[in-house]
Amino acid sequence: MQTIKLKLKEEITSGNAKIPIEADSLTPDKIFGKSEAEIKAVKVWWGNREENTGDLFDMSVEGEAASVEEVKIVMEGDLSRVKHIGDGMKAGEIEANGDVDMHCGAMMQGGRVTVKGNADCWAGREMHGGELIIEGDAGDNLCAMYRGEMTGMTGGKVTVGGNAGECVGQYMAGGEILIKGNTNILTGLNMKGGKITIEGDAIMPGADMTGGEITVKGKVLDMIPSFKSDGTESIEGVEYKKYLGDLAMTEKKAKGVLYVR
Amino acid sequence: MAEGELLIRNGVVYDPINGVNGEKKDISIRDGKVVEEVMNPKVIDAEGRVVMPGGVDIHSHIAGAKVNVGRLFRPEDGRKGREAKTKVCRAQSGYSVPNTFATGYRYAKMGYTFVMEAAMPPLAARHTHEEMVDIPILDNAAMPLIDNNWMTMEYVKSGDTDLLAAYIAWMIKATKGYGVKVVNPGGTEAWAWGKNCDINDAVPYFDVTPAEIIKGLAEATEKFEMPHSIHVHGNMLGHPGNFETTLATYDLVKGIKPYRDRPAMHATHTQFHSYGGTRWGDFESKAGAIADYVNKNEHLSIDIGSIILGDTTTMTADGPMEYSLYQITGRKWTNHDVELETGSGITPFLYSGKSPVNTVQWAIGQELALLIKDPWKLALTTDHPNAGPFIGYPIIISMLMSKKRREESAEDMHSVIYDRAELPSIDREYDLNEIAIITRGMAAKTLGLHEHGKGHLGVGADGDVAIYDISPEERDAGKIQKAFLNTKYTIKGGEVVVKDGEVVATPAGRTIFVTPECDDKLTEEMMVKLKDKFDHYYSVTFNNYPVQDAYLPNPYEIKAPWRS
Amino acid sequence: MVEITDVVCSLCGCVCDDIVVEVEDNKVTKVKKGACSVGKSKLMGHGRIESPAIRENGTLKNCSYDEAIKKAAEILAAARRPLLYGWSSTVCEADKVGVELAEEIGAVIDNTASVCHGPSVLAIQDVGLPSCTLGEVKNRADLVIYWGANPAAAHANHMKRYSYISKGYWTEEGKKNKKLIVVDVRKTATAKMADVFLQMEQGKDYLVFSALRAMLLGYEDVVPEEVGGVSKKDLLETVRLMKEAKFGMIFFGMGVTHTRARHNNVVNAIQTTRAAHTHTKFSIMPMRGHYNVAGINQVCTWETGYPFAVDLSRGYAWYNPGEISATDLLVRRECDAALIIASDPGAHFPGESIKHLSKIPVIQIDPFPNPTTEFADVLIPAAISGVEAEGNVYRMDNIPIRLRKLVDTEYVADEEIMKRILEEVRAIKEKEGE
Repeated sequence: MQTIKLKLKEEITSGNAKIPIEADSLTPDKIFGKSEAEIKAVKVWWGNREENTGDLFDMSVEGEAASVEEVKIVMEGDLSRVKHIGDGMKAGEIEANGDVDMHCGAMMQGGRVTVKGNADCWAGREMHGGELIIEGDAGDNLCAMYRGEMTGMTGGKVTVGGNAGECVGQYMAGGEILIKGNTNILTGLNMKGGKITIEGDAIMPGADMTGGEITVKGKVLDMIPSFKSDGTESIEGVEYKKYLGDLAMTEKKAKGVLYVR
Repeated sequence: MAEGELLIRNGVVYDPINGVNGEKKDISIRDGKVVEEVMNPKVIDAEGRVVMPGGVDIHSHIAGAKVNVGRLFRPEDGRKGREAKTKVCRAQSGYSVPNTFATGYRYAKMGYTFVMEAAMPPLAARHTHEEMVDIPILDNAAMPLIDNNWMTMEYVKSGDTDLLAAYIAWMIKATKGYGVKVVNPGGTEAWAWGKNCDINDAVPYFDVTPAEIIKGLAEATEKFEMPHSIHVHGNMLGHPGNFETTLATYDLVKGIKPYRDRPAMHATHTQFHSYGGTRWGDFESKAGAIADYVNKNEHLSIDIGSIILGDTTTMTADGPMEYSLYQITGRKWTNHDVELETGSGITPFLYSGKSPVNTVQWAIGQELALLIKDPWKLALTTDHPNAGPFIGYPIIISMLMSKKRREESAEDMHSVIYDRAELPSIDREYDLNEIAIITRGMAAKTLGLHEHGKGHLGVGADGDVAIYDISPEERDAGKIQKAFLNTKYTIKGGEVVVKDGEVVATPAGRTIFVTPECDDKLTEEMMVKLKDKFDHYYSVTFNNYPVQDAYLPNPYEIKAPWRS
Repeated sequence: MVEITDVVCSLCGCVCDDIVVEVEDNKVTKVKKGACSVGKSKLMGHGRIESPAIRENGTLKNCSYDEAIKKAAEILAAARRPLLYGWSSTVCEADKVGVELAEEIGAVIDNTASVCHGPSVLAIQDVGLPSCTLGEVKNRADLVIYWGANPAAAHANHMKRYSYISKGYWTEEGKKNKKLIVVDVRKTATAKMADVFLQMEQGKDYLVFSALRAMLLGYEDVVPEEVGGVSKKDLLETVRLMKEAKFGMIFFGMGVTHTRARHNNVVNAIQTTRAAHTHTKFSIMPMRGHYNVAGINQVCTWETGYPFAVDLSRGYAWYNPGEISATDLLVRRECDAALIIASDPGAHFPGESIKHLSKIPVIQIDPFPNPTTEFADVLIPAAISGVEAEGNVYRMDNIPIRLRKLVDTEYVADEEIMKRILEEVRAIKEKEGE
């Protein structure tokens, strides 16, 4: 196991302007095999200038990795302005100790990212595989698509310990999302596959669904009026109301299923 | 134009307009023009490589309202082609709908120096010009749509060909355009009510047929010494069985005599109009029938509109066709009808080798090029981006030049290609001379631009040269494709703009426009009717309509006198 | 005294172009016809920023254009995350230089669509927009729907020039053979003119659109008796009118874009239009606010690939509203310098973002003072586009029209100011490279 600790230097976010750093070049697969000096020289964008990782982070390296899977990056400091943590990651592990900025785990293909705090918008955007754990809250567009695309998350597993924002899983085609708290409006918008479970409450879930499954264990506020009631179903010993939708996409396309307690 | 002298030596030159077919020849350029010889030039040693005049694209959607709709509503296409800015180049984005800078750079890297914007909605002509000014390197022109216009239909109905000619003249001048563009005549006006027209259907309220409109416009256009004929996107584009409408469309101009040696109609993206069958289930290629007609007749020219596999963005003034495409795919769809004039529809589309329909479509474009015997009758296009992005031209070039490549590609397509298309049974292979004809010579001649320096390397021509990094003997399709994608050198107006596949200079291009000259009295009479339209039906004023000079910082004017 | 006709108004998205003015002693002295009262006020002119100035120790000190431009260039060249914002009340020629400058310094370039019809743009990127030019509506529409928009107040000439009251080829009798439907949360001045007024609960647009779509597609059975405060009966009547129209047109405004589901409301509005289109001709159009917000969207799109909220800091364009929009950047305190041109964030942005804006170096380019002027560090007064400077603009239906120059002025036009800033920035960077 190799553990690489990256602690954001205080002066980076202590100024009047809190300019984000984009950490997409610091995934386990991209820095695997690099020496400490080489990692310090990896370029990272901070605003409109490229800087050396070593100038932005205090770094320490422990142990060795025989493969990418054995690389663990631990990020510390004020990560609320560190964007794209784990973006495109293929394997290995990243642990972020604190709230993280946007696009955390976006386009992930494998490995695991754990956020010990909140994640800002677009966490897990267009995720293909791997695991993303957010212990706190997630912002808007969790596991959603990029603007204009018709496919968002296609695989992988995401767990949010707190609440999530708007449009969770928009254009989802596969994979699994579990929200332990509540979600804001339009969870599963344009969903076509995959599974979303919300243990808390949801508002207008399943709009424009054509496939996939949403389960709301709490309350639903403002049901979409174009859903069709399909009786009830028992899941793990609990009775749920079952709805098929979204008929606004035409009955032929309305293959989405919404379970509401 | 660059000052100074340039000498390209040791190149093997293909200049079909001047009958130069693979000759070892030096090209001398002074102050941006080809000259007999130079005294003290900068020298480029082409080292036995293929040299051609700068490419001339006769039909591409690169600038204007619907192109920008395509860009705006496809941020996902934008992020595909992105390249950071350099010291020389602005930032680039887009694949099927590249930003204006990428458009210029990528065409130049393929050795092209002139591109015709295929369709300009007249009311939004300023938009087309603003974008053309932002396309680096390339010279350009645009064709205004004049076929669904109320003035046109009314004059066609009353049979006033001279007054129609006066209107055409005014339109081309007001829009600083190049010639008369026709797209789904009558049908796009019908679409403003949600309807469409086949060639002999009466347009609702205007009571003329598309056939009458096309014939009327052809006659009126030929009242002038217009460099280019009417440029026609016929009715029923994209519908199975439409080849009959297509042939009927071609027949319409049989008796019309153009003022010089050129066809009376240029029929564009013919692939989309060569469909057999009665529905998608029995869809088949009718390229053979179309090619047969073209082989037997001299009054028309075509460009192929050949498919490039992959995801692209369709955009035409054929509003109803775009709507049917959206109904098939369910993808995003923008429609924009333009008062008194035309309309447009834009929707993304994926051409897949797994689809039987797309496979036959893919075959048709190439069949047209291979079955039409005289390459001077056709140009290589993809109706960018409708059948595919222009960046795919080298793929088509390599297909036409290599039977082996076609065979290999057919194996990856749907097996229906062996039943519903002719391509697998065709052996013909294009040579470089023929490629030069269909990528520069024919287009320049058909557009009349060969008389204004384009498409050839005779003395007096523009110093626009493409040096491709292959020897004339090269037969490997992969190498040919690679060479035609990024030149060894592209020279524009005597200045090196691309070297070793990289853009090294970005001079501004010129906009070429035509000024048809019409009798004052006729114009005055036409104006009465036209002003009435502005007073009552247009939403802009007559005086605010014409494109002001400020929109053409580098204009080049071609006069088109009234034929005596 | 000179009379000038075909004058083009540079105020709102209507871009009325048949205005007649009188000019005397190099001033517009009278607006004779064509303009609404707000447009008139702009053409006649009012209090403006008199001189370039630089703020020293809290006070603005007058200086020359050269000095102000130099200072502006210094600020922008040094910034690590500069923001170039506004653009909607100037001409495309100036917008182009703005994009070039943003690329040169690795800035974010954003425009007022971010706080206005940005959600409409996002919706178009999801589902497209079935639309037309305003003249089409004038000539053909027999059913006009205003949803979350109040043209009687915000676009005063709209109904008279283009939609309900206007007369055209198949609509010679004006509103006589037309129907007007207004959907809003309160009875606005426009609602008072309507044949049908649907009063809807705040934030329920999304649900009402879904219900209309279901009904238009033939699934009225699943729709409950009341949706968003509107009865099923009223919804069915609306659907009937939509189906029976020969040409239906929906205009929508901030009521749709700025309430609960925001851009998804617009997506649903567009999908409702598409559902209506299965029965008859139906189109939809956003009521753009500023006279050239459509223009900066166009310019930005053909030059960068994206219409607003464009981040050029990495040398290529990254587009993501919600992350890169000016308000997002400012609320998150991400920028370290800002150029505000032809717009007024001070009046329209949330308090938190203004707080940060007032703490960073701000350059303001505008003919008129506004709340942003209170804290701007460099002030560069511009010539008034459409009065003192000409240039291209795009109307709300994306038709390009050229603004006229009516009078001469000592003030410098936006395009030239921008060019001089860009030149100065390049000189600074070249020196740094040495």
